[in-house]
Amino acid sequence: MKIRNFFLKIVNHRATPYVVCGAIAFFMIAPFIWMGLSAFKTSSETFKYPPTYFPENPTLKTMSEAWSKAPIPTYLANSLIVSLTSTLIVIVAGSFTAYALSQYRYKGSNVALGLFLFTRIIPPLSLLLPYYLILRKLGLLNTRVSVILYLIYLNYPLVVWLLKGFFDAFPRDLIDSAIVDGCSRTGAILRIVLPVSATGVYAIAVVAFMWAWNEFFAPFLFINYDELKPITVGLYYFVGDEYTYWNRMCAAGIYAVMPSLTFFLLAQKYIVKGLPAGALKY
Amino acid sequence: MKISNTKYGVILSIPGLMLLLIWVLVPFSYVFYLSFLRYDNISPVTFTGFDNYIRVLTDSYLLPTLKRTFIFSFGSTGLTLLISLILALCLNKIVKGSTFFRSLVIMPWAVPLILSGFLWAWMFHPSFGPISDILIKLHLRDEPLNIYKNPHMAMAGVIVADAWRRIPFLTIITLAGLQVIPGELYDAAKVDGADSFHIFRHVSMPLASRPMLIGTLITLMFSFRSIDVIYSMTPGGGYGKCTYVLGAYLFDYIYEFLNFGVAASAGVLLILLTFGIGSFFIYYTLKK
Repeated sequence: MKIRNFFLKIVNHRATPYVVCGAIAFFMIAPFIWMGLSAFKTSSETFKYPPTYFPENPTLKTMSEAWSKAPIPTYLANSLIVSLTSTLIVIVAGSFTAYALSQYRYKGSNVALGLFLFTRIIPPLSLLLPYYLILRKLGLLNTRVSVILYLIYLNYPLVVWLLKGFFDAFPRDLIDSAIVDGCSRTGAILRIVLPVSATGVYAIAVVAFMWAWNEFFAPFLFINYDELKPITVGLYYFVGDEYTYWNRMCAAGIYAVMPSLTFFLLAQKYIVKGLPAGALKY
Repeated sequence: MKISNTKYGVILSIPGLMLLLIWVLVPFSYVFYLSFLRYDNISPVTFTGFDNYIRVLTDSYLLPTLKRTFIFSFGSTGLTLLISLILALCLNKIVKGSTFFRSLVIMPWAVPLILSGFLWAWMFHPSFGPISDILIKLHLRDEPLNIYKNPHMAMAGVIVADAWRRIPFLTIITLAGLQVIPGELYDAAKVDGADSFHIFRHVSMPLASRPMLIGTLITLMFSFRSIDVIYSMTPGGGYGKCTYVLGAYLFDYIYEFLNFGVAASAGVLLILLTFGIGSFFIYYTLKK
Protein backbone atom coordinates (compact mmCIF):
# COMPACT_ATOMS: atom_id res chain seq x y z
CA MET A 1 0.00 0.00 0.00
CA LYS A 2 2.85 2.35 0.82
CA ILE A 3 4.34 1.81 -2.62
CA ARG A 4 0.98 2.40 -4.24
CA ASN A 5 0.51 5.67 -2.37
CA PHE A 6 4.01 6.75 -3.30
CA PHE A 7 3.29 6.19 -7.00
CA LEU A 8 -0.13 7.82 -6.66
CA LYS A 9 1.55 10.92 -5.30
CA ILE A 10 3.80 11.02 -8.35
CA VAL A 11 1.01 10.31 -10.84
CA ASN A 12 -1.33 12.88 -9.30
CA HIS A 13 1.28 15.61 -9.02
CA ARG A 14 0.45 18.60 -11.17
CA ALA A 15 3.87 18.70 -12.81
CA THR A 16 4.01 15.01 -13.77
CA PRO A 17 2.20 15.20 -17.14
CA TYR A 18 4.38 18.13 -18.13
CA VAL A 19 7.59 16.37 -17.18
CA VAL A 20 6.59 13.17 -19.00
CA CYS A 21 5.37 15.07 -22.08
CA GLY A 22 8.57 17.08 -22.08
CA ALA A 23 10.72 13.96 -21.93
CA ILE A 24 8.82 12.18 -24.71
CA ALA A 25 8.68 15.36 -26.78
CA PHE A 26 12.46 15.56 -26.52
CA PHE A 27 12.76 12.00 -27.83
CA MET A 28 10.39 12.84 -30.68
CA ILE A 29 12.20 15.98 -31.81
CA ALA A 30 15.78 14.89 -31.05
CA PRO A 31 16.35 13.61 -34.61
CA PHE A 32 15.03 16.92 -35.97
CA ILE A 33 17.44 18.85 -33.74
CA TRP A 34 20.34 16.62 -34.77
CA MET A 35 19.39 16.99 -38.44
CA GLY A 36 19.07 20.76 -38.11
CA LEU A 37 22.39 21.16 -36.32
CA SER A 38 24.26 18.83 -38.67
CA ALA A 39 23.07 20.65 -41.76
CA PHE A 40 25.15 23.64 -40.65
CA LYS A 41 28.35 21.68 -40.07
CA THR A 42 31.22 21.27 -42.49
CA SER A 43 31.98 17.80 -43.84
CA SER A 44 35.14 17.47 -41.74
CA GLU A 45 33.24 18.35 -38.57
CA THR A 46 30.74 15.56 -39.16
CA PHE A 47 33.63 13.08 -39.09
CA LYS A 48 35.02 14.28 -35.79
CA TYR A 49 35.40 11.99 -32.80
CA PRO A 50 33.95 12.66 -30.28
CA PRO A 51 31.11 14.34 -32.15
CA THR A 52 30.33 18.02 -31.66
CA TYR A 53 26.77 19.08 -30.95
CA PHE A 54 26.66 22.70 -31.96
CA PRO A 55 28.43 23.48 -35.24
CA GLU A 56 31.87 24.99 -34.52
CA ASN A 57 31.74 27.25 -37.54
CA PRO A 58 28.08 27.36 -38.55
CA THR A 59 27.94 27.55 -42.31
CA LEU A 60 25.18 27.83 -44.88
CA LYS A 61 27.51 26.23 -47.40
CA THR A 62 26.23 22.73 -46.68
CA MET A 63 22.66 23.71 -47.36
CA SER A 64 23.60 25.40 -50.63
CA GLU A 65 25.97 22.58 -51.65
CA ALA A 66 23.26 19.98 -51.17
CA TRP A 67 20.90 22.15 -53.19
CA SER A 68 23.28 22.72 -56.11
CA LYS A 69 25.48 19.60 -56.23
CA ALA A 70 22.61 17.14 -56.21
CA PRO A 71 19.55 17.81 -58.36
CA ILE A 72 17.50 18.63 -55.25
CA PRO A 73 15.23 21.18 -56.99
CA THR A 74 14.41 18.56 -59.64
CA TYR A 75 13.75 15.89 -57.00
CA LEU A 76 11.45 18.24 -55.09
CA ALA A 77 9.60 19.22 -58.26
CA ASN A 78 9.08 15.55 -59.11
CA SER A 79 7.83 14.77 -55.61
CA LEU A 80 5.47 17.71 -55.79
CA ILE A 81 4.13 16.72 -59.24
CA VAL A 82 3.46 13.07 -58.40
CA SER A 83 2.10 13.77 -54.91
CA LEU A 84 -0.23 16.59 -55.94
CA THR A 85 -1.52 14.83 -59.07
CA SER A 86 -2.20 11.53 -57.34
CA THR A 87 -3.82 13.25 -54.36
CA LEU A 88 -6.06 15.29 -56.62
CA ILE A 89 -7.17 12.20 -58.52
CA VAL A 90 -7.92 10.09 -55.46
CA ILE A 91 -9.78 12.93 -53.76
CA VAL A 92 -11.95 13.68 -56.80
CA ALA A 93 -12.65 10.03 -57.60
CA GLY A 94 -12.96 9.12 -53.95
CA SER A 95 -15.34 11.91 -52.89
CA PHE A 96 -18.17 10.83 -55.18
CA THR A 97 -17.79 7.14 -54.34
CA ALA A 98 -17.52 7.80 -50.62
CA TYR A 99 -20.48 10.15 -50.74
CA ALA A 100 -22.64 7.62 -52.56
CA LEU A 101 -21.65 4.84 -50.17
CA SER A 102 -22.41 7.10 -47.23
CA GLN A 103 -25.63 8.87 -48.24
CA TYR A 104 -27.23 6.80 -51.01
CA ARG A 105 -26.99 3.23 -49.78
CA TYR A 106 -28.07 0.43 -52.05
CA LYS A 107 -28.06 -3.35 -52.01
CA GLY A 108 -24.42 -4.28 -52.18
CA SER A 109 -23.06 -0.94 -51.03
CA ASN A 110 -21.86 -2.66 -47.86
CA VAL A 111 -20.02 -5.19 -49.98
CA ALA A 112 -18.37 -2.33 -51.85
CA LEU A 113 -17.36 -0.78 -48.55
CA GLY A 114 -16.01 -4.08 -47.33
CA LEU A 115 -13.95 -4.29 -50.51
CA PHE A 116 -12.35 -0.93 -49.75
CA LEU A 117 -11.58 -2.04 -46.21
CA PHE A 118 -10.16 -5.32 -47.47
CA THR A 119 -7.93 -3.52 -49.96
CA ARG A 120 -6.39 -1.56 -47.12
CA ILE A 121 -4.90 -4.68 -45.59
CA ILE A 122 -3.08 -5.82 -48.75
CA PRO A 123 0.64 -5.18 -48.18
CA PRO A 124 1.80 -2.75 -50.89
CA LEU A 125 5.19 -4.44 -50.94
CA SER A 126 3.56 -7.60 -52.31
CA LEU A 127 1.94 -5.69 -55.17
CA LEU A 128 5.13 -3.90 -56.16
CA LEU A 129 6.08 -6.66 -58.59
CA PRO A 130 2.71 -6.92 -60.40
CA TYR A 131 2.62 -3.15 -60.77
CA TYR A 132 6.17 -3.15 -62.08
CA LEU A 133 5.31 -5.75 -64.73
CA ILE A 134 2.01 -4.09 -65.69
CA LEU A 135 3.65 -0.68 -66.00
CA ARG A 136 6.47 -2.21 -68.03
CA LYS A 137 3.93 -3.76 -70.39
CA LEU A 138 2.22 -0.38 -70.72
CA GLY A 139 5.61 1.16 -71.51
CA LEU A 140 5.30 3.50 -68.55
CA LEU A 141 8.45 2.65 -66.60
CA ASN A 142 10.75 5.63 -66.15
CA THR A 143 7.90 8.09 -66.29
CA ARG A 144 6.31 10.11 -63.52
CA VAL A 145 2.97 8.63 -64.61
CA SER A 146 4.07 5.20 -63.33
CA VAL A 147 4.56 6.60 -59.82
CA ILE A 148 1.29 8.53 -59.98
CA LEU A 149 -0.58 5.36 -60.95
CA TYR A 150 1.01 3.42 -58.11
CA LEU A 151 0.21 6.19 -55.62
CA ILE A 152 -3.43 6.10 -56.69
CA TYR A 153 -3.52 2.44 -55.66
CA LEU A 154 -1.76 3.23 -52.39
CA ASN A 155 -4.03 6.08 -51.31
CA TYR A 156 -7.37 5.41 -52.92
CA PRO A 157 -8.88 2.84 -50.51
CA LEU A 158 -7.72 4.79 -47.46
CA VAL A 159 -9.11 8.05 -48.81
CA VAL A 160 -12.50 6.54 -49.66
CA TRP A 161 -12.70 5.01 -46.20
CA LEU A 162 -11.77 8.26 -44.43
CA LEU A 163 -14.11 10.34 -46.62
CA LYS A 164 -16.96 7.91 -46.05
CA GLY A 165 -16.57 8.19 -42.28
CA PHE A 166 -16.47 11.93 -42.70
CA PHE A 167 -19.60 12.17 -44.87
CA ASP A 168 -21.48 9.93 -42.41
CA ALA A 169 -21.30 12.77 -39.92
CA PHE A 170 -22.62 15.28 -42.47
CA PRO A 171 -26.05 16.67 -41.46
CA ARG A 172 -28.56 15.03 -43.80
CA ASP A 173 -31.09 17.85 -43.22
CA LEU A 174 -28.82 20.27 -45.02
CA ILE A 175 -28.80 18.09 -48.14
CA ASP A 176 -32.54 17.41 -47.98
CA SER A 177 -33.51 21.05 -47.60
CA ALA A 178 -31.32 22.00 -50.55
CA ILE A 179 -33.08 19.37 -52.65
CA VAL A 180 -36.50 20.58 -51.48
CA ASP A 181 -35.47 24.07 -52.57
CA GLY A 182 -35.03 22.76 -56.10
CA CYS A 183 -31.37 21.82 -56.08
CA SER A 184 -30.51 18.58 -57.90
CA ARG A 185 -28.75 15.83 -55.96
CA THR A 186 -25.54 16.41 -57.88
CA GLY A 187 -25.96 20.13 -57.41
CA ALA A 188 -26.30 19.56 -53.68
CA ILE A 189 -22.94 17.77 -53.64
CA LEU A 190 -21.17 20.52 -55.55
CA ARG A 191 -22.85 23.52 -53.92
CA ILE A 192 -23.55 22.34 -50.39
CA VAL A 193 -21.65 19.23 -49.34
CA LEU A 194 -18.20 19.93 -50.75
CA PRO A 195 -18.00 23.61 -49.70
CA VAL A 196 -19.28 22.86 -46.19
CA SER A 197 -16.92 19.93 -45.72
CA ALA A 198 -13.94 21.62 -47.38
CA THR A 199 -11.75 21.58 -44.27
CA GLY A 200 -12.36 17.90 -43.63
CA VAL A 201 -11.66 16.96 -47.24
CA TYR A 202 -8.56 19.14 -47.07
CA ALA A 203 -7.33 17.28 -43.97
CA ILE A 204 -7.81 13.93 -45.70
CA ALA A 205 -6.05 15.28 -48.79
CA VAL A 206 -3.07 16.29 -46.65
CA VAL A 207 -2.84 12.77 -45.23
CA ALA A 208 -2.90 11.33 -48.76
CA PHE A 209 -0.34 13.89 -49.90
CA MET A 210 1.96 12.89 -47.04
CA TRP A 211 1.70 9.21 -47.89
CA ALA A 212 2.47 10.01 -51.51
CA TRP A 213 5.36 12.28 -50.62
CA ASN A 214 6.89 9.67 -48.32
CA GLU A 215 6.66 6.70 -50.69
CA PHE A 216 10.05 5.24 -51.46
CA PHE A 217 10.06 1.73 -52.94
CA ALA A 218 7.78 2.26 -55.94
CA PRO A 219 9.73 5.18 -57.47
CA PHE A 220 12.96 3.43 -56.45
CA LEU A 221 11.96 0.44 -58.57
CA PHE A 222 10.16 2.20 -61.42
CA ILE A 223 12.54 5.06 -62.17
CA ASN A 224 16.17 4.97 -63.20
CA TYR A 225 16.78 8.52 -64.34
CA ASP A 226 17.88 11.19 -61.91
CA GLU A 227 15.71 13.84 -63.53
CA LEU A 228 12.53 11.86 -62.73
CA LYS A 229 13.26 10.69 -59.19
CA PRO A 230 11.32 12.06 -56.22
CA ILE A 231 13.16 13.36 -53.17
CA THR A 232 12.83 10.15 -51.10
CA VAL A 233 14.82 8.25 -53.73
CA GLY A 234 17.01 11.30 -54.29
CA LEU A 235 18.31 11.01 -50.72
CA TYR A 236 20.39 8.07 -51.96
CA TYR A 237 22.45 10.55 -53.94
CA PHE A 238 24.29 11.26 -50.69
CA VAL A 239 24.93 7.65 -49.76
CA GLY A 240 28.42 6.83 -50.98
CA ASP A 241 30.20 3.50 -51.38
CA GLU A 242 33.01 4.64 -49.09
CA TYR A 243 31.22 7.01 -46.80
CA THR A 244 28.11 9.11 -46.59
CA TYR A 245 28.29 12.89 -46.37
CA TRP A 246 26.00 13.11 -43.39
CA ASN A 247 25.91 16.89 -43.27
CA ARG A 248 24.65 17.06 -46.85
CA MET A 249 22.27 14.19 -46.19
CA CYS A 250 20.82 16.18 -43.28
CA ALA A 251 20.54 19.29 -45.43
CA ALA A 252 18.73 17.25 -48.09
CA GLY A 253 16.59 15.72 -45.34
CA ILE A 254 15.47 19.20 -44.30
CA TYR A 255 14.47 19.96 -47.88
CA ALA A 256 12.66 16.60 -48.05
CA VAL A 257 10.70 17.16 -44.85
CA MET A 258 9.82 20.83 -45.15
CA PRO A 259 6.99 20.68 -47.72
CA SER A 260 5.04 17.80 -46.19
CA LEU A 261 5.69 19.02 -42.64
CA THR A 262 4.43 22.50 -43.49
CA PHE A 263 1.23 21.15 -45.06
CA PHE A 264 0.82 18.80 -42.14
CA LEU A 265 1.25 21.36 -39.38
CA LEU A 266 -1.12 23.76 -41.15
CA ALA A 267 -3.81 21.09 -41.37
CA GLN A 268 -2.99 19.59 -37.99
CA LYS A 269 -6.09 20.87 -36.23
CA TYR A 270 -8.40 19.20 -38.75
CA ILE A 271 -6.36 16.00 -39.02
CA VAL A 272 -6.30 15.49 -35.27
CA LYS A 273 -10.05 15.98 -35.16
CA GLY A 274 -11.07 14.20 -38.35
CA LEU A 275 -8.69 11.28 -38.75
CA PRO A 276 -9.65 9.26 -35.65
CA ALA A 277 -13.35 9.60 -36.51
CA GLY A 278 -12.83 8.52 -40.11
CA ALA A 279 -10.28 5.83 -39.41
CA LEU A 280 -12.24 4.07 -36.70
CA LYS A 281 -15.87 4.51 -37.51
CA TYR A 282 -17.95 2.22 -39.59
CA MET B 1 -36.89 11.99 -65.82
CA LYS B 2 -35.98 11.33 -62.24
CA ILE B 3 -34.07 8.27 -61.12
CA SER B 4 -34.50 6.76 -57.66
CA ASN B 5 -32.09 7.45 -54.84
CA THR B 6 -30.87 3.88 -54.97
CA LYS B 7 -30.05 4.07 -58.66
CA TYR B 8 -28.40 7.43 -58.09
CA GLY B 9 -26.14 5.87 -55.46
CA VAL B 10 -25.16 3.09 -57.82
CA ILE B 11 -24.39 5.47 -60.69
CA LEU B 12 -22.44 7.82 -58.45
CA SER B 13 -20.27 5.10 -56.99
CA ILE B 14 -19.64 3.08 -60.16
CA PRO B 15 -16.65 5.02 -61.54
CA GLY B 16 -14.88 4.78 -58.18
CA LEU B 17 -15.66 1.08 -57.88
CA MET B 18 -14.38 0.43 -61.39
CA LEU B 19 -11.15 2.15 -60.42
CA LEU B 20 -10.85 -0.16 -57.42
CA LEU B 21 -11.61 -3.29 -59.44
CA ILE B 22 -9.32 -2.51 -62.34
CA TRP B 23 -6.45 -0.83 -60.63
CA VAL B 24 -6.25 -2.69 -57.31
CA LEU B 25 -7.87 -6.08 -57.63
CA VAL B 26 -6.30 -6.93 -61.00
CA PRO B 27 -2.70 -6.51 -59.75
CA PHE B 28 -3.75 -8.30 -56.57
CA SER B 29 -4.84 -11.33 -58.60
CA TYR B 30 -1.83 -11.01 -60.86
CA VAL B 31 0.61 -11.62 -58.00
CA PHE B 32 -1.03 -15.00 -57.32
CA TYR B 33 -0.73 -15.90 -61.00
CA LEU B 34 2.93 -14.83 -61.08
CA SER B 35 3.73 -17.00 -58.09
CA PHE B 36 3.05 -20.11 -60.19
CA LEU B 37 5.43 -19.11 -62.98
CA ARG B 38 9.11 -19.80 -63.46
CA TYR B 39 10.05 -16.20 -64.09
CA ASP B 40 13.74 -15.80 -63.34
CA ASN B 41 14.71 -13.52 -66.25
CA ILE B 42 17.14 -16.19 -67.50
CA SER B 43 15.05 -18.94 -69.05
CA PRO B 44 11.72 -18.43 -70.80
CA VAL B 45 8.68 -17.95 -68.59
CA THR B 46 6.80 -21.20 -67.96
CA PHE B 47 4.23 -22.58 -65.56
CA THR B 48 5.88 -24.46 -62.69
CA GLY B 49 3.07 -25.17 -60.26
CA PHE B 50 4.13 -24.93 -56.64
CA ASP B 51 7.89 -24.92 -57.29
CA ASN B 52 8.35 -21.33 -56.14
CA TYR B 53 6.42 -21.97 -52.94
CA ILE B 54 8.45 -25.09 -52.24
CA ARG B 55 11.60 -23.11 -52.80
CA VAL B 56 10.54 -20.35 -50.43
CA LEU B 57 9.14 -22.64 -47.74
CA THR B 58 12.20 -24.92 -47.72
CA ASP B 59 14.63 -22.00 -47.81
CA SER B 60 16.80 -22.19 -44.71
CA TYR B 61 16.67 -18.39 -44.58
CA LEU B 62 12.89 -18.39 -44.21
CA LEU B 63 12.38 -19.36 -40.56
CA PRO B 64 14.96 -16.94 -39.11
CA THR B 65 13.58 -14.27 -41.44
CA LEU B 66 10.02 -14.85 -40.23
CA LYS B 67 11.20 -14.82 -36.62
CA ARG B 68 12.90 -11.46 -37.18
CA THR B 69 9.79 -10.15 -38.94
CA PHE B 70 7.68 -10.94 -35.88
CA ILE B 71 10.26 -9.55 -33.44
CA PHE B 72 10.53 -6.37 -35.49
CA SER B 73 6.81 -5.76 -35.97
CA PHE B 74 5.71 -6.72 -32.46
CA GLY B 75 8.68 -4.91 -30.94
CA SER B 76 7.94 -1.75 -32.88
CA THR B 77 4.21 -1.95 -32.15
CA GLY B 78 4.79 -2.69 -28.47
CA LEU B 79 7.13 0.27 -28.06
CA THR B 80 4.75 2.48 -30.04
CA LEU B 81 1.78 1.43 -27.91
CA LEU B 82 3.61 1.93 -24.60
CA ILE B 83 4.85 5.42 -25.42
CA SER B 84 1.62 6.47 -27.17
CA LEU B 85 -0.47 5.42 -24.18
CA ILE B 86 1.69 7.29 -21.67
CA LEU B 87 1.82 10.30 -23.95
CA ALA B 88 -1.93 10.34 -24.61
CA LEU B 89 -2.75 10.01 -20.90
CA CYS B 90 -0.46 12.95 -20.12
CA LEU B 91 -1.68 15.09 -23.03
CA ASN B 92 -5.23 14.43 -21.87
CA LYS B 93 -4.38 15.76 -18.40
CA ILE B 94 -2.49 18.85 -19.53
CA VAL B 95 -4.52 22.03 -19.63
CA LYS B 96 -1.99 24.67 -20.59
CA GLY B 97 0.19 24.12 -23.65
CA SER B 98 -1.36 20.86 -24.81
CA THR B 99 -1.55 22.08 -28.41
CA PHE B 100 2.12 23.03 -28.26
CA PHE B 101 3.17 19.61 -26.97
CA ARG B 102 0.89 17.86 -29.43
CA SER B 103 2.40 19.77 -32.36
CA LEU B 104 5.89 18.77 -31.24
CA VAL B 105 5.20 15.09 -30.77
CA ILE B 106 3.32 14.55 -34.03
CA MET B 107 6.08 16.03 -36.18
CA PRO B 108 7.73 12.66 -36.96
CA TRP B 109 4.52 11.68 -38.75
CA ALA B 110 5.52 13.88 -41.68
CA VAL B 111 8.98 12.32 -41.98
CA PRO B 112 9.51 9.74 -44.73
CA LEU B 113 10.31 6.36 -43.13
CA ILE B 114 13.37 6.11 -45.34
CA LEU B 115 14.69 9.36 -43.84
CA SER B 116 13.87 8.18 -40.33
CA GLY B 117 16.20 5.25 -41.01
CA PHE B 118 18.99 7.53 -42.23
CA LEU B 119 18.65 9.91 -39.28
CA TRP B 120 18.66 7.18 -36.64
CA ALA B 121 21.46 5.36 -38.46
CA TRP B 122 23.60 8.38 -37.90
CA MET B 123 22.35 9.06 -34.38
CA PHE B 124 23.44 5.49 -33.54
CA HIS B 125 26.77 5.79 -35.35
CA PRO B 126 29.44 4.36 -33.02
CA SER B 127 31.99 7.14 -33.48
CA PHE B 128 30.23 10.16 -34.95
CA GLY B 129 26.73 9.79 -33.52
CA PRO B 130 25.37 11.44 -30.37
CA ILE B 131 23.85 8.39 -28.65
CA SER B 132 27.08 6.49 -28.16
CA ASP B 133 28.81 9.73 -27.17
CA ILE B 134 26.20 10.60 -24.55
CA LEU B 135 26.41 7.10 -23.05
CA ILE B 136 30.17 7.51 -22.71
CA LYS B 137 29.87 10.99 -21.24
CA LEU B 138 27.38 9.69 -18.66
CA HIS B 139 29.90 6.93 -17.84
CA LEU B 140 27.34 4.28 -18.73
CA ARG B 141 29.84 2.82 -21.19
CA ASP B 142 33.62 2.88 -21.49
CA GLU B 143 33.87 2.35 -25.21
CA PRO B 144 31.78 3.48 -28.20
CA LEU B 145 28.52 1.58 -28.61
CA ASN B 146 28.37 -0.15 -31.98
CA ILE B 147 24.82 -1.41 -32.32
CA TYR B 148 25.51 -2.63 -35.85
CA LYS B 149 27.89 -5.36 -34.67
CA ASN B 150 25.42 -6.81 -32.18
CA PRO B 151 22.35 -8.61 -33.58
CA HIS B 152 20.07 -7.70 -30.65
CA MET B 153 21.16 -4.08 -30.52
CA ALA B 154 20.79 -3.67 -34.28
CA MET B 155 17.24 -4.98 -34.08
CA ALA B 156 16.53 -2.65 -31.15
CA GLY B 157 17.91 0.23 -33.23
CA VAL B 158 15.63 -0.34 -36.21
CA ILE B 159 12.69 -0.86 -33.84
CA VAL B 160 13.35 2.56 -32.26
CA ALA B 161 13.60 4.21 -35.68
CA ASP B 162 10.38 2.56 -36.83
CA ALA B 163 8.43 3.21 -33.62
CA TRP B 164 9.56 6.84 -33.56
CA ARG B 165 7.77 7.40 -36.85
CA ARG B 166 4.61 5.49 -35.74
CA ILE B 167 4.03 6.95 -32.28
CA PRO B 168 2.21 10.13 -33.48
CA PHE B 169 -0.59 8.21 -35.23
CA LEU B 170 -1.37 5.93 -32.30
CA THR B 171 -1.09 8.84 -29.85
CA ILE B 172 -3.69 10.84 -31.77
CA ILE B 173 -6.02 7.84 -32.00
CA THR B 174 -5.66 7.03 -28.29
CA LEU B 175 -6.05 10.67 -27.30
CA ALA B 176 -9.25 10.92 -29.35
CA GLY B 177 -10.52 7.82 -27.54
CA LEU B 178 -9.74 9.33 -24.13
CA GLN B 179 -11.28 12.69 -24.97
CA VAL B 180 -14.75 11.32 -25.68
CA ILE B 181 -14.99 9.93 -22.14
CA PRO B 182 -17.33 12.30 -20.29
CA GLY B 183 -15.81 14.11 -17.32
CA GLU B 184 -18.71 13.12 -15.05
CA LEU B 185 -17.54 9.51 -15.19
CA TYR B 186 -14.21 10.47 -13.63
CA ASP B 187 -15.99 12.58 -11.01
CA ALA B 188 -18.38 9.77 -10.18
CA ALA B 189 -15.48 7.34 -9.82
CA LYS B 190 -13.66 9.76 -7.53
CA VAL B 191 -16.73 10.18 -5.34
CA ASP B 192 -16.81 6.40 -5.02
CA GLY B 193 -13.27 6.56 -3.70
CA ALA B 194 -11.36 5.41 -6.78
CA ASP B 195 -7.75 6.56 -7.05
CA SER B 196 -5.90 7.29 -10.31
CA PHE B 197 -4.92 3.66 -10.86
CA HIS B 198 -8.50 2.46 -10.39
CA ILE B 199 -9.73 5.11 -12.80
CA PHE B 200 -7.14 4.11 -15.38
CA ARG B 201 -7.96 0.43 -14.99
CA HIS B 202 -11.76 0.65 -14.79
CA VAL B 203 -12.75 3.86 -16.60
CA SER B 204 -10.13 5.06 -19.11
CA MET B 205 -9.01 1.68 -20.40
CA PRO B 206 -12.37 -0.01 -21.02
CA LEU B 207 -13.84 3.07 -22.68
CA ALA B 208 -10.85 3.91 -24.87
CA SER B 209 -9.98 0.32 -25.66
CA ARG B 210 -11.71 0.03 -29.05
CA PRO B 211 -9.93 2.92 -30.81
CA MET B 212 -6.68 1.82 -29.19
CA LEU B 213 -7.15 -1.74 -30.35
CA ILE B 214 -7.87 -0.72 -33.94
CA GLY B 215 -5.03 1.80 -33.93
CA THR B 216 -2.66 -0.83 -32.58
CA LEU B 217 -3.72 -3.35 -35.24
CA ILE B 218 -3.12 -0.74 -37.96
CA THR B 219 0.31 -0.02 -36.50
CA LEU B 220 1.10 -3.73 -36.32
CA MET B 221 0.02 -4.29 -39.92
CA PHE B 222 2.12 -1.38 -41.13
CA SER B 223 5.27 -2.32 -39.28
CA PHE B 224 4.83 -5.92 -40.35
CA ARG B 225 4.94 -5.03 -44.02
CA SER B 226 7.18 -1.99 -44.27
CA ILE B 227 10.92 -2.24 -44.60
CA ASP B 228 11.91 1.35 -45.37
CA VAL B 229 13.67 1.89 -42.05
CA ILE B 230 15.48 -1.42 -42.22
CA TYR B 231 16.50 -0.77 -45.81
CA SER B 232 18.06 2.63 -45.13
CA MET B 233 19.43 1.94 -41.63
CA THR B 234 20.91 -1.52 -42.10
CA PRO B 235 21.31 -2.09 -45.87
CA GLY B 236 21.13 -5.74 -46.86
CA GLY B 237 19.84 -6.74 -43.44
CA GLY B 238 22.94 -5.52 -41.64
CA TYR B 239 25.74 -7.47 -39.99
CA GLY B 240 24.90 -11.18 -39.97
CA LYS B 241 21.52 -10.41 -41.57
CA CYS B 242 20.24 -9.60 -38.07
CA THR B 243 17.52 -7.23 -39.30
CA TYR B 244 16.62 -9.13 -42.46
CA VAL B 245 12.80 -9.46 -42.52
CA LEU B 246 10.29 -11.00 -44.93
CA GLY B 247 9.73 -7.75 -46.83
CA ALA B 248 13.47 -7.39 -47.39
CA TYR B 249 13.62 -11.01 -48.58
CA LEU B 250 10.81 -10.29 -51.04
CA PHE B 251 12.39 -7.08 -52.29
CA ASP B 252 15.77 -8.76 -52.76
CA TYR B 253 14.19 -11.34 -55.07
CA ILE B 254 12.78 -8.52 -57.19
CA TYR B 255 15.69 -6.12 -57.15
CA GLU B 256 18.85 -8.16 -56.53
CA PHE B 257 18.14 -11.69 -57.81
CA LEU B 258 15.55 -10.70 -60.46
CA ASN B 259 13.66 -13.92 -59.78
CA PHE B 260 10.11 -12.66 -60.13
CA GLY B 261 8.41 -16.03 -59.60
CA VAL B 262 9.99 -16.54 -56.19
CA ALA B 263 9.38 -12.87 -55.34
CA ALA B 264 5.69 -13.32 -56.15
CA SER B 265 5.35 -16.38 -53.94
CA ALA B 266 7.13 -14.55 -51.11
CA GLY B 267 4.67 -11.73 -51.80
CA VAL B 268 1.75 -14.12 -51.44
CA LEU B 269 3.23 -15.37 -48.17
CA LEU B 270 3.43 -11.76 -46.94
CA ILE B 271 -0.18 -11.19 -48.01
CA LEU B 272 -1.39 -14.27 -46.13
CA LEU B 273 0.50 -13.37 -42.96
CA THR B 274 -0.70 -9.76 -43.07
CA PHE B 275 -4.27 -11.00 -43.54
CA GLY B 276 -3.87 -12.86 -40.27
CA ILE B 277 -3.45 -9.51 -38.53
CA GLY B 278 -5.77 -7.74 -40.95
CA SER B 279 -8.73 -10.01 -40.27
CA PHE B 280 -8.70 -8.89 -36.62
CA PHE B 281 -8.54 -5.31 -37.86
CA ILE B 282 -11.56 -5.79 -40.13
CA TYR B 283 -13.46 -7.68 -37.43
CA TYR B 284 -13.02 -4.96 -34.81
CA THR B 285 -13.64 -2.16 -37.30
CA LEU B 286 -16.97 -3.61 -38.42
CA LYS B 287 -18.03 -4.70 -34.93
CA LYS B 288 -20.50 -2.22 -33.51
